[in-house]
Amino acid sequence: MGEYLLEVQGLKTYFKTKAGYVRSVDGVSFGVRPGEKVAIVGESGCGKSVTALSIMRLIEQPPGEYIDGSILFDGQNILDLPERAMRKIRGGKIGMIFQDPMTCLNPTMTVAQQIAEGLQIHLKLSRGEAHRRAISLLEQVGIPDAAKRANSYPHQFSGGMRQRVMIAISLACNPKLLIADEPTTALDVTVQAQILELISGVCHDFGTAVILITHDLGVVAGMTDRVVVMYAGKVVETAPTDELFANPRHPYTLGLMASIPRLDEARTSDLKTIEGAPPNLIQPPTGCPFMPRCVFARNICRTMPPLEAVAGQSTHVKACWVDVTDPQTREQAERRRLARMELKQGIIKEAALQTAEEK
Amino acid sequence: MDISRQINLTHPELEDLEPFLDETPELVQERRSQGRIIFDRFIRHRIAIIGAIFLIAMLLFCFFGPLFWKYNPDIIPDNVVTARFNAPDLAHPFGTDEVARDELARALAGGRVSLLVALASMLGAIVLGVGIGSFAGFYGGIIDNLLMRFTDVFLAVPLYLLLFVLSATFTDGSPLSVVILIAIFGWTYAARLVRGEFLAHRDREYVLAARAIGAKNLSLMFRHILPNAAGPIIVNSTILIGANIILESVLSYFGFGIKAPNPSWGNMIADGQTYFDQAPWLVFVPALLIFLTVLSFNVVGDGLRDALDPHMTER
Repeated sequence: MGEYLLEVQGLKTYFKTKAGYVRSVDGVSFGVRPGEKVAIVGESGCGKSVTALSIMRLIEQPPGEYIDGSILFDGQNILDLPERAMRKIRGGKIGMIFQDPMTCLNPTMTVAQQIAEGLQIHLKLSRGEAHRRAISLLEQVGIPDAAKRANSYPHQFSGGMRQRVMIAISLACNPKLLIADEPTTALDVTVQAQILELISGVCHDFGTAVILITHDLGVVAGMTDRVVVMYAGKVVETAPTDELFANPRHPYTLGLMASIPRLDEARTSDLKTIEGAPPNLIQPPTGCPFMPRCVFARNICRTMPPLEAVAGQSTHVKACWVDVTDPQTREQAERRRLARMELKQGIIKEAALQTAEEK
Repeated sequence: MDISRQINLTHPELEDLEPFLDETPELVQERRSQGRIIFDRFIRHRIAIIGAIFLIAMLLFCFFGPLFWKYNPDIIPDNVVTARFNAPDLAHPFGTDEVARDELARALAGGRVSLLVALASMLGAIVLGVGIGSFAGFYGGIIDNLLMRFTDVFLAVPLYLLLFVLSATFTDGSPLSVVILIAIFGWTYAARLVRGEFLAHRDREYVLAARAIGAKNLSLMFRHILPNAAGPIIVNSTILIGANIILESVLSYFGFGIKAPNPSWGNMIADGQTYFDQAPWLVFVPALLIFLTVLSFNVVGDGLRDALDPHMTER
């Protein structure tokens, strides 16, 4: 496989608070090749968005701090660049789509003006040229009657249309990399697929590499080449998408997949969840951060497992001591999961009885 | 994923419908610009509209009226003795003053000075206030601290006393000197207001998104945030004009503002009060004009506040 376009190495982005440093991103490493589509998956608060904003160097400093690591983009370390050079990269070489299209468009500028802005900054186009390019970009992202709609304001667009505008803005200068931070989370389910297909299609046409940040594994399966699974500010597993779905190796990934609701399940059966909550990122546990919630946990997990290639798979990496494919281990884990569920239900029942008695 | 493929998203029959959808009146109405919506809301505010019409009429009269009105505000006619202290009649709708000058011509000329001074000092104050407030709010931290403590110093000064002292020593009674004086003391509230707006807006997502396409700080401040903060600033400006008219009148009344031969509503009241027993209109005319103008600016400001308030829902 070829050279990396973007290579994040040991990135640590912390936030200073009164209680101490919040280790939002704690030693993240991954790479994106030109034209490749990579997903970053994980639950809320695991550092996905902070990773994205770190790549754009848009973390507010203070309270944010880049403690350690490097972000190599086109051979340059983004973290060392002066602000001037960084501005050329933002929008010019790396585009970004945000989660909520309702709030990230400027309500006082027409959509054409907002698309044209990047073109004027980076490609030094004149106002008229930029406006013409903006209209053709609007056409490319599937806005009907683009010439007329170009002079509309964001509030005159629906959510899906606004996200299309965001896509046009972020791809206006033909960047090499597009970071899409949960681009469909705020949208109707009916529009989600359209927007994903659009991102996928346009980026394919432009040859743009994509980092897709999401917590939705369904989204990942449809449109990415590789997946980076994050937990508590760390990468816990990385693999080609097909390989990851066929052969997940980290207990957290297993848990994520098990928690996707299935239509063919009995209606009465409980939805599967990963019990517990992510650890406190101010004082994370010294060992594997997932250990407190992990049904596979054992004593060795008290020391942090290294991110190592899975046996026989050079592209599949995981940070776990346990071989989750071993049938005996699996059986044991399943028993432990059931025991935990029972314990939890017992506690709930007891609490319910207690309140009933009090009444 | 499979489900989405089964549904044909570009159904040919649906595309045929699109031109018709375009024609529906709701959609046509949707395409009003932000400015248009605000204007539509403003004209529903009846009192504000009356105020606005009064102000427009006042501006037209003051600036173009003298071209058509037969009397000159400065020339003392030859028949001073017989024509002085004429009560309002058809020839002199506002009467004449102690040297037989037409009071209407004086009021128009005075209004021109008063309005110009108020508008110009408002502009000066707003520019200063926006400049200082935007930097303080956008950059925050130590810059914010320094600029706001500087503003506090100005706010803590007893305004009228200092104005009297300064105008007695530094100004020559010309309109420009009064404008500068009023502007220097008027920017503080604007600065606080703008700082608050910028503080609230700088962490909004659209600013982050603009940063993400490589916009510079100055562009973020004045191209992105300022238009979004324009509402409160406009409202503040209209109310500031009213306050400035009063401030100018007070200064002029006490002889610290605009000085003769330039008329202003303030010094007209001062001049007229000597003859209050013989010719009360010499006080009432400028006083009423000040009152109505300031009131109009305030109701217009109120109407603008409602029209610009994004939380106001369309009725």
